[in-house]
Amino acid sequence: METGLRCIYVAALAVLLAAPVNAQEDDPLGGLVSPDLERREIREADIDTEDFELSTFGGVMNVEDFGSNPVYGGALAYHINEDLFMEVGYGQTELGESSFERLSGSAPLLTDEQREMQFYNLSLAWNLFPGEYFLFDRWALNSNLYLIGGVGNSSFADEDHFTYNFGVGARILPADWLSLRLDVRDHVFEHELFGELQTTHNLSAQVGLSVYF
Amino acid sequence: MLLLSLTTLFGSVASAGVQFPQHVPEDAEPVSVDAPYVNVYTGPGRGYPIFHALERGEIVWLLKQRTDWVKVTTRRGHTGWVRVADLADIFSPEGEPLRIDRVDFRDHRSQTLQLGFTYGDFAGADSMGVNLGYRFTANLSGELRATQAVGQFSDSQTYQVAVLHQPFPRWRVSPYFMLGTGINITSPNATIVATEDRQDTAMLTGFGLKTFIARRFALRAEVANHYLLTSRENNQEIIEWKLGFDVFM
Repeated sequence: METGLRCIYVAALAVLLAAPVNAQEDDPLGGLVSPDLERREIREADIDTEDFELSTFGGVMNVEDFGSNPVYGGALAYHINEDLFMEVGYGQTELGESSFERLSGSAPLLTDEQREMQFYNLSLAWNLFPGEYFLFDRWALNSNLYLIGGVGNSSFADEDHFTYNFGVGARILPADWLSLRLDVRDHVFEHELFGELQTTHNLSAQVGLSVYF
Repeated sequence: MLLLSLTTLFGSVASAGVQFPQHVPEDAEPVSVDAPYVNVYTGPGRGYPIFHALERGEIVWLLKQRTDWVKVTTRRGHTGWVRVADLADIFSPEGEPLRIDRVDFRDHRSQTLQLGFTYGDFAGADSMGVNLGYRFTANLSGELRATQAVGQFSDSQTYQVAVLHQPFPRWRVSPYFMLGTGINITSPNATIVATEDRQDTAMLTGFGLKTFIARRFALRAEVANHYLLTSRENNQEIIEWKLGFDVFM
């Protein structure tokens, strides 16, 4: 008995469900409005990306106790998004005479070769303040101010010194592919040239020119 | 005026090849934008002013892309930057749908190159490193790794090849396991210990966590065991802790 009732229910349900399907088949618009199931081929637009930035810089670097000397080098940056970029940098400078060497009058602490300092670093930067700089009435130059920090290595006096660097920079773009950069960095490392381990802060200020490609 | 703009519109659509205005370079790709309007900025960033809007169906030329922004120019010479996201529906003058490439970590099918920097502790020495990885599948990637560590008593360099397995790539914080091999070059600081540089083959095992904080930017933390097969009596084990980031290129 119960099975029979169920059969009727199921049959009724089947008819009800089938009804809309039939209605669709009879639909006079069926032929006109048919789902377009054709597979669309989407081609990639032919466009050149310019996420890399190659720069050269020159400036002044002060190495604690060894005076200020010219610094120059280069960097390669990859722009991750409008806010962040990562950069590999290289630079070199020379150490001057330390006050200890000058005052004591003793033999120089380092040879000329040992006074040459090379450093490189891996850094991450945040474009904090994008905007425009205005030059007279005529030019509005795109710009941004960035905070940058990273780790690296400084080698001088036949030793490697693990170096943290952090700083701030400004970038001005006279054209989309060209930028002028101003950077101030603090390079922090420890050395024990004077007998005991000391942490030194070594500041550099540099002007750079970079090209996007 | 209206007639003029209509004729230019129809002229551009009717002819198979769109006429390039003089200021447009020949290799620029012309597209029409299927969006109510698209803001045009003076620079590639949200902070720059909007100075123009593109209309639906207007033909623009794609000049170049920087990060998530595309430089476009219009027939009348308005040149500026638009978001890639606003150019989701673009068509060639022949009506062919086009797409602008955007790398996304959520697209697990895409095989991508990853570049990362790390900072860490290599058995007491400070270390920094570069990784270049390639994702073969959602779960499996290969990686080339170079690290330099500077310590009080010795400096070392390591160069490795590793395979990374991510069992749950869709998790917000996704763990990975690593197996690799390479060489470790150790140079003791000459002033303290008078020994020669050593070069040892190393076996690498590791475990790490990766989390994406932007579409192409992931943070990672890792602990690795370097098992050095030395020519001395005992092999040496070094534990390395690392923090870093990866970028999908």
